[in-house]
Amino acid sequence: MSNEIKSIQMPKWGMEMSEGEINAWHVEIGAQVNAEDDLVDVETSKIINTVTAAHSGVLRAIVAQTGETHDVGALLGVLASAETSEAEIQAFIDSHKTTSADSVAAKPVASEPAPAVTDAAPKASSNSALAEGGDDGHIAASPVARRLAAEYGVNLNNITGTGRHGRVSKSDLEAVVTASGGQLVGTNPAAPAGAAQHGDDSQVKATPVARRLAKELGINLHECRVSGDRGRVCKADVEAAAALKNKLPAQSVTVSSAPSSSESQVISGMRKTIAARLQSSKQTAPHYRVQIDAELDNLLATRKQINDANTQTKVSVNDFIIKACASALIRVPAVNVQFDGEQVTQFADADISVAVAIKDGLITPIICGANNKGLEGISHEMRDLSTRAKLNRLKPEEFQGGSFCISNLGMYGIKQFDAIINPPQGAILAVGSGEQRAVVKNGELAVATVISLTLSSDHRIIDGAVAAEFMSVLKGFLEQPATMLV
Amino acid sequence: MSIQQYDLMVVGGGPGGYVAAIRAAQLGFKTALVEKQHLGGVCLNWGCIPTKALLRGADIAHTLKEADHFGFSFDNLSFDINKLVKHSRSVASKLSGGVAYLMQKNNITVIDGTATVAEKCLLDVSHNGAVTQYRSNHIILATGARARNLPNIEIDGDLVWGAREAMTPTALPGSLLVIGGGAIGVEFASLYNDLGTDVTLVEAAERITPAEDAEISALAEKSFAQRGIKILTNTLVDSIEGAGKQALALIKGADGDQHLKFDQVILAVGIQGNIEGLGLESLGVKTENSFLSADPFGRTNLVGLYAIGDVAGAPWLAHKASHEAIVCVENIAGIEAVQPLNKNRVPGCTYCRPQIASVGLTEAQAKAAGHSIRVGRSSLSANGKALAIHEAEGMVKTIFDADSGELLGAHMIGPEVTEQIQGFGIAQQLAATEHDLAHTIYAHPTVSESMHESVLDSLGVAIHQ
Repeated sequence: MSNEIKSIQMPKWGMEMSEGEINAWHVEIGAQVNAEDDLVDVETSKIINTVTAAHSGVLRAIVAQTGETHDVGALLGVLASAETSEAEIQAFIDSHKTTSADSVAAKPVASEPAPAVTDAAPKASSNSALAEGGDDGHIAASPVARRLAAEYGVNLNNITGTGRHGRVSKSDLEAVVTASGGQLVGTNPAAPAGAAQHGDDSQVKATPVARRLAKELGINLHECRVSGDRGRVCKADVEAAAALKNKLPAQSVTVSSAPSSSESQVISGMRKTIAARLQSSKQTAPHYRVQIDAELDNLLATRKQINDANTQTKVSVNDFIIKACASALIRVPAVNVQFDGEQVTQFADADISVAVAIKDGLITPIICGANNKGLEGISHEMRDLSTRAKLNRLKPEEFQGGSFCISNLGMYGIKQFDAIINPPQGAILAVGSGEQRAVVKNGELAVATVISLTLSSDHRIIDGAVAAEFMSVLKGFLEQPATMLV
Repeated sequence: MSIQQYDLMVVGGGPGGYVAAIRAAQLGFKTALVEKQHLGGVCLNWGCIPTKALLRGADIAHTLKEADHFGFSFDNLSFDINKLVKHSRSVASKLSGGVAYLMQKNNITVIDGTATVAEKCLLDVSHNGAVTQYRSNHIILATGARARNLPNIEIDGDLVWGAREAMTPTALPGSLLVIGGGAIGVEFASLYNDLGTDVTLVEAAERITPAEDAEISALAEKSFAQRGIKILTNTLVDSIEGAGKQALALIKGADGDQHLKFDQVILAVGIQGNIEGLGLESLGVKTENSFLSADPFGRTNLVGLYAIGDVAGAPWLAHKASHEAIVCVENIAGIEAVQPLNKNRVPGCTYCRPQIASVGLTEAQAKAAGHSIRVGRSSLSANGKALAIHEAEGMVKTIFDADSGELLGAHMIGPEVTEQIQGFGIAQQLAATEHDLAHTIYAHPTVSESMHESVLDSLGVAIHQ
């Protein structure tokens, strides 16, 4: 046991995530943690999330201090048993530094425990001779033993039962499997998520407390003995199963650590990422802009008709712009792209990122497949996404990706502006405020509600004529919204 | 001037509205609450809390009457109803101040005024003649409800009191007619009877507390009759006329018409939702019998508009409003696995003497719903603690689904049963079966041991009866 030292690493929560800032440790050095316990809050460019323990053990060292920023894969802390010596812990930290210096994603191979049976089929770990023996249906065995025997591929004829009335018990089966050199499922403390092997445990009778505890400890209820009243798995059963999984003493050992040295005000993780990504975008993507004005009077009339006709709907001008962009992207697919510097990926559907201002930053939730959605659907989805964006409740998949971006500052009365492309996308539309302007029609002065739209495109992949075509199609959809129906 | 923008606005500061505002603020919404009169709503100011303060006085009156049984005797006992009312009002104002503190603590903007929904996601708030507009993606209406009048009898605040006047009397009426045998009417009948008024209680249905299980109603009726409250069921009050300082009531019942005189009348025949003046008609918001129609998450048919609490319909209870507030706001915030309110899990409490408390289905409802049921009963006359405190009047009735063991309903009448009903509520929430309840250890000696006996009785293994 003593040499099983495990690393806590900076996770990778999304395509864009390259580093994270340590926000707060939930656990102190010397504390015993169980698998899936909360360890440390990490702030990325977009979210604050919690790193949970992949293994159980004693937190022996905190390498990454609160306030520090570390690359994905970097060593944040060390989990080990209480008996592991200081020297071993230090050697582990040092070795990790060298390996991670070579490659961010490299794992400390030497110290990682041998993979348990969980990755392979369980039967692979038992002696094939045990599988022989013909029909064993008549052998008295506990239901758990019988199910495990099937999993391990063991014929019950090969086992001498020691349970009540000579029944084959779970421990009989496990003894035979171990004796033949096999590995046990769910009993190896190094086996990550061994519970998952047993699948759905919702049908297992259990007390509400036991069910909840099992979920938190990562215990499958099938793994638990049943000692509660009326055949229910109770709390003690789950705790017993958890203890079996994590045979580690809860003795605490204090490791001295350097106090946090950051005193100056560091910008937030989100601000840092906005800074890094947009700087990189502006430096690597040759931006150019094309601008067009569109008259909104038809659109506003249509919007009024829709909103007046249906209490369930409050379609905004922005919802129309999302829909119109989606339609235009399908018409001019060369703009509906992502570019990683080498490869251009063109998408069949328009996944439109919409910039939403939130406290201390901005985020771009995505209306996926906006081309396949109606205005009402887009409106409802946008309301939900922007509500949850402001509450910091978006899931990563709801704001990561997208094939095109819209930034609308019209509500502030901004007439026109330029936006910076949101990589790896190829273009972004900056939307100004719809306002009444004097226009000349057929030589006569007239009043129309006009909106100015500016497209910033990456010239490496979108040429001027393509951008211009997109804008002209977009203008058409906005000025005659009914044409979007076709 | 640009329009102020909030993420979420609540109209009404009662136990639905202020809870919604606090939960929204906790979740990170920029939140405002519009209140036209006083924070805390009817519950804190003119309902649940001040009536309980008065009923405490009634309890003391009752205890004093029983004093002789325990060996106490005294004379020159006097009672000043103004002091009791003063106690009641001071509790109300203290709690209202507490809500104001909670708004401040949670950074919620409290806007004084009367709100109108101008259009989708737009509120007009008028205050002292000035109208201010606010934009909010989510607007929760928690405007509550008020006492309903009868077509021929109206609350005038003089001869005919509503709940407000009934909880701020300046003198004790000699005789009182209470119209309506629901929770509110029964509480006032019990209160004034204990304080010494001659009370007549009229109910149109065949029994008082018609929402409760029939056996509970029967026990309540028996207890009330023993205390000298005259109960007229299947009876209507046709008219009230002034006759000097008294009210002349034309009462139509099984025994024919009779004219009776009372010093005072209390009208408690139900409530109606406060939906007027909110601008809802022109926006096409759906209503049903003076209440707003909303789905289990409080969503009305108007986008961004929600309704919770009394204005969203029965049961008209503060704790139902507060729970709906949480469900509504958490659902807006996209919290996963928010469960809608289950109306069968809303407990109901009536603070008459003896108290009545219930949760879930009555026996008749359970049968009508097609359940095959097991019923347990336990009388307080076999309960040591109830006998010791000389309050052995009452029962606990439990109704289980015979197949699943689910607790379908629990009905209690007796001392402090309103404090005990939580036990059954928790059992329902945890989906406990009759066996879980039977295997729970109940402390002795307590009145709530009767809960255990009732469960055991449903299994046919009651120990003490």
